[in-house]
This record gives sequence, C-alpha cells and structure tokens, in this order.
Amino acid sequence: MRSRGIYFPAYFTATLAVALAFSSFARAQAGQQQAPSNQAAASAPKRDLSGVWQLKGTGSAENFAADEDIPPMTPWAKARFDAAKPGYGFRAAPGGNDPILQCDPIGIPRVMLMPVPYEFVHTPARVLQFFEREHEWRSIWTDGRSLPKDPDPTWYGYAIGRWEGDTTFVVESTGYTDRTWITPTGFPHSEAMHVSERYQRVDHDTILYDITVTDPGAYSKPIVGPQRIMKLKPGAELVELPCVWSEENAFAKRIREPAASKPAK
Amino acid sequence: MNLKTATFILLVASLLAAGGPAWAHHGNSAYDEEHWITLSGTVTEFVWSNPHCEFFVDVKDDKGHVVSWSIESQSPGIMRRNNWTRTSLKPGDQITVTLAPAKNGAPVGFSGNSLGKVVFADGRVLKMDTR
Repeated sequence: MRSRGIYFPAYFTATLAVALAFSSFARAQAGQQQAPSNQAAASAPKRDLSGVWQLKGTGSAENFAADEDIPPMTPWAKARFDAAKPGYGFRAAPGGNDPILQCDPIGIPRVMLMPVPYEFVHTPARVLQFFEREHEWRSIWTDGRSLPKDPDPTWYGYAIGRWEGDTTFVVESTGYTDRTWITPTGFPHSEAMHVSERYQRVDHDTILYDITVTDPGAYSKPIVGPQRIMKLKPGAELVELPCVWSEENAFAKRIREPAASKPAK
Repeated sequence: MNLKTATFILLVASLLAAGGPAWAHHGNSAYDEEHWITLSGTVTEFVWSNPHCEFFVDVKDDKGHVVSWSIESQSPGIMRRNNWTRTSLKPGDQITVTLAPAKNGAPVGFSGNSLGKVVFADGRVLKMDTR
C-alpha cells in the first residue's frame, strides 16, 4: 500500500504531462490553422455565405466526431451499431452493409464530411444548400419559423437558420429518418436526432464549422465534433454527382466485389 | 479498479484522443493503402460514371501473361477539377498507373486520391487531389 502511495503521484504526473502535451499541441495546431488575419477578417461579407465551399480535410470521407468520442449508446442504438458492417474505421471489413452501397441518401451530418464541395445560395426567406455529393439539397428556413413538432422523417431533415452577429450562421435541424448512419464507421441515430451546426465565417475564404448531434434515442449525451475548416472555392461549379444505382451496381460487380471477396486459396 | 489501472487507462485514452484523426485517413478498406504500386500497361476501357469512374488496363506479368486490372477512381466532378475529362483515357493508350492494390490479391486497385496518378507514354501526368 505504501508503494502505491509513492508511485501514484509519479504515474499521475506523467500521465497528466502526456495528456497536456497532446492537448496543447492540438490547440497550437488549431490556432495556427484558424487564426484569420485582421485584413482577411475585415473582408468577410456580412450575413452572406454565398459560394462553393469544401471541407479542408484528409481527402477521404470522414467521421464528424472521432469514434472514441462517441458516448455510450442506448440498447436500441447498440443493436443497430452491432448490425452495421462498415467499410471504414476500426471495424472495417471488405463487403459490408453501409447504406451508401445501396445508393441510399447519406443525409446529415455525413454529407458534410465528404471530400466534395457544396454551395450556399441566399434567398429572402431561406438559405439553400446544394450538395454535389448525391446532387442533393436542403432548405434552411430563415423567416423566423420554428422547427416542426412532429415532422415526417426524411433523409435530409427539416432545417431553420439564424444569424448570430454578422458572420455566424446557426442551423438547427431535425426530422431525420433513422435509416442513415451518422458516420461511415456505422454509428446509428434515431428519429429523435437534433443537429446543431455553426458556420462561422472568419474571413472571406474561411468558415469554421462546428457540429453537435443530440439524440437521446441513441446516445447518453450530445456528440460534439471537432471544429472543421471549410474553404471557399472561387470559380468552382458544382456538377452532378448522383449515386446512380445502375452504375453503382456495375461498379460493384466489376470492382468492389472482386476487391472484397476472400482470397482464392 | 486500482489506481495503476485507472492511470493506465487515462494514459491510453489521452494517446488515443491525440492519435484519433489519423485513423480516419484509411478509407477504402478493401485496398492496401499502405503499399501503393505502379503498373504499366494498355488501357482497354474508361468508364466515366457516378459515383465512381473506373478504368481497365491490361498488364503483362513477368512471364508475359496478360493480367486485366480494374481500377477505381473518383466521381466525374472531382476528376474534372483535377483536369481529367471523359476522354482522358482511350483504349490503346500506354500508361503507368499508381494504385493501392486490393488486399485479397485480386487484380483490382484504387487510384483516386493524392497518392494515385497516371503517367502517359509521352510524359503527361494526370493526378488527383480530393482535399
């Protein structure tokens, strides 16, 4: 017992030092990426996100929050999670049952973390968000209405938006079908999912993007994703990128399934 | 749980939290993205389709046998923004392609990120960047 008393402070100190080192390193990295110059910040248009934007990410489909940061699941969600066979992440295996392989719409938040651009278009009563991925879009209502109390569940939900100051657009959404995954790694959500997003335009070319998923039907507490950077792509035009089932099916037969089959012995 | 165990878990958790994003890079699990390879051969087909473009290349192995490789790339929109067009590859083109091969040994590969590229016989290069 005595030795534990001696060793504990050493263990604790070392562990704390490691944790602090990594967290301060991460903050330093984030600070370097996110700090806008005063000149650039001054050039950010007020209450306007018009244009084509893209996640500044790894170049692959990403999780909106790290797998290890997903809180405990309800039994219903755990059963869904266990049945999911993802093609990505720590449970990845060839084959799988990711809805994306059936060309099911990937929905929010997953479409936001694809390496594919989207576009904002402002109209008087709503902001339209067009996603190149899936050739899909949603309305973000800005006329002061509230979220519907009992919406029909849809792939892309029902969204309202408001400005905080002149450069932060806050989007609240709900009404999502539970048929989508919230990450490519197979985490589910229920129809109670509420998504909060913040698009903070810190300079002309940069949005800092925050996303929180609150889903008491599936998780014990809200899931807060790390802040992401979205970059304006001047001159870029969205083109169509539907998931075409006949083409996806042909692709599956010629490439995905041969690549995923068990090796011949 | 004793203190050593608790401390060890905290240590591991802090390392995982710091290293987490690195896991997210390795998407196409059927492909060995740790070991990219380069193949030279003759294009037989180029499919310009959504959500993936594909191309097919006949490659001669060491013994002179022709192996037909099937190669996954990106969507037409991403390809276009990387200077590809629907006629970039034509049957008969001699190319050298860099790809991540299927883990199962099948002649299938992925060439659709910044590590993938196609080099033509005349030295022209087509690359890919999805970031």
